[in-house]
Amino acid sequence: MTRARTALAACGIVVGLWGLWLLLGNLSADQLIRLPLWLGGAVVVDDFFLVPLTIGAGWLLTRRLTGHTRAIVRTMLLYVGITTLIATPLLLRQGKGINPTVLPRDYLRDWLVLEATIVLAGVLALVVQRLRRADGSAGSRLRTARRF
Amino acid sequence: MIVLGRWLGVAVVVCFLTGLFSHFQQSAPGWVYLPSRPASLYRVTQGLHVLSGIVAVPLLLAKLWTVYPKLFAKPPWPPSRQAVAMVLERLSILVLVSALALELFLGFLNTLQWYPWPFPFRQTHYALAWIIVGALLVHLAVKLPLIVAHWRRTPPPVPETGGLSRRGLFRTVAGAGALVGIASVGQSVPALGPVAVLAPRTPGIGPQGLPVNRTAGDAGVGMVGADWRFTISGPERLTFTLDELRALPQSRSDLPIACVEGWSQGARWEGVRIRDLLALCGAPDASRVRVVSMENDGFYATSELPPQFAADPLTLLALRLNGTDLDLDHGFPARIIAPNRPGVLQTKWVDHLEVLS
Repeated sequence: MTRARTALAACGIVVGLWGLWLLLGNLSADQLIRLPLWLGGAVVVDDFFLVPLTIGAGWLLTRRLTGHTRAIVRTMLLYVGITTLIATPLLLRQGKGINPTVLPRDYLRDWLVLEATIVLAGVLALVVQRLRRADGSAGSRLRTARRF
Repeated sequence: MIVLGRWLGVAVVVCFLTGLFSHFQQSAPGWVYLPSRPASLYRVTQGLHVLSGIVAVPLLLAKLWTVYPKLFAKPPWPPSRQAVAMVLERLSILVLVSALALELFLGFLNTLQWYPWPFPFRQTHYALAWIIVGALLVHLAVKLPLIVAHWRRTPPPVPETGGLSRRGLFRTVAGAGALVGIASVGQSVPALGPVAVLAPRTPGIGPQGLPVNRTAGDAGVGMVGADWRFTISGPERLTFTLDELRALPQSRSDLPIACVEGWSQGARWEGVRIRDLLALCGAPDASRVRVVSMENDGFYATSELPPQFAADPLTLLALRLNGTDLDLDHGFPARIIAPNRPGVLQTKWVDHLEVLS
């Protein structure tokens, strides 16, 4: 195991240094100074904005919920969050494509429809779950029925 | 969370390999041989490249979320061998996370052809890919005992990450990956075009029902008149008017335009086979050919057809698209269309072919 680990790590360092070499060879000094700022920015956005936001929003919006309801609402919120994250550049650049075939859709409408669909699916899942719980015997009856 | 990491790893590897293929397509070192078939290979690999990148976004965020408490773990003190190892490991993770997050961001914005950063996209995207793979290998080396234990089905105890069970979390993340994948893959799979609400391109939109990357306006090319001539220079130098090109035997190729930005769409092209033109000027089928455009921009103005592409019967000097003359934005009066090539090399507004060997 130790030998495999050493070999893996050595390969990784060589490959990583090759990438660094490519950067040094292809970017100007000015660009090389700014790139780390963007790399740092990516970490800050992830670790100090997106992840805390997910944890915070998830906690705030689901703290009074329990069990399956909580899981369904959290999943729904995560789907809304991730699709919104990816839709953001499209929404920002709507109508600013370099030609009419780039970004040709009405992304605001599409985004609203997508989020509405996710919320609707979540609500449906909640309703189905409530119905099952309200009629506790339904599940067992189904299961019995299937046996015959 | 090893299962999440495994899927993120798969996405990164697919993205890296397809990206490498695309890089070789655009600037192949001499020792790389690129086949001209399967005709849709590049369409599939580049579609996968962009798809795996988009799917990696929820996987990366979920992975960061599961290890979030570790970010605030107390730094080791006093200095010892273990402390040094831990600092090095954390540095490798910092490299991995920052490069991967920036890489996905750059890649996605490139599909919108939006470049708000102060460094060149292609070179930076390519170099960061190697850095990511390097950091990933180091990360695997560090975690190898854990990974092996997991594969032997003796997982070490991992604390639950509140609210969602491990299986529930994985299902949720897999669902998020599938959701963003389905909502974006329609730019390369026309059947899913109508639901491609997270994709910057929609199939069927553009002149002659085909999207465009670079318009005639961008390229500084105007409509040509009756005095336009096409020249091929090989052992013999031949010149054709547009009508003379139309009078040569015409062939039909069903080939996709597949762009580095991930969008692709099949189309029906008609024109003269490059190998027929080569034969006319006395050059062998398998010749290396330089394609020269009327564009004034140096980067797009010329491209090279390696011998196997020039010899392929599907490779055309196309004059027509989907049943009518090429639109000016699609390269009127003549353009190159070849199988298994990125759109950027399907040079438009061609007025000169030069046989190199």
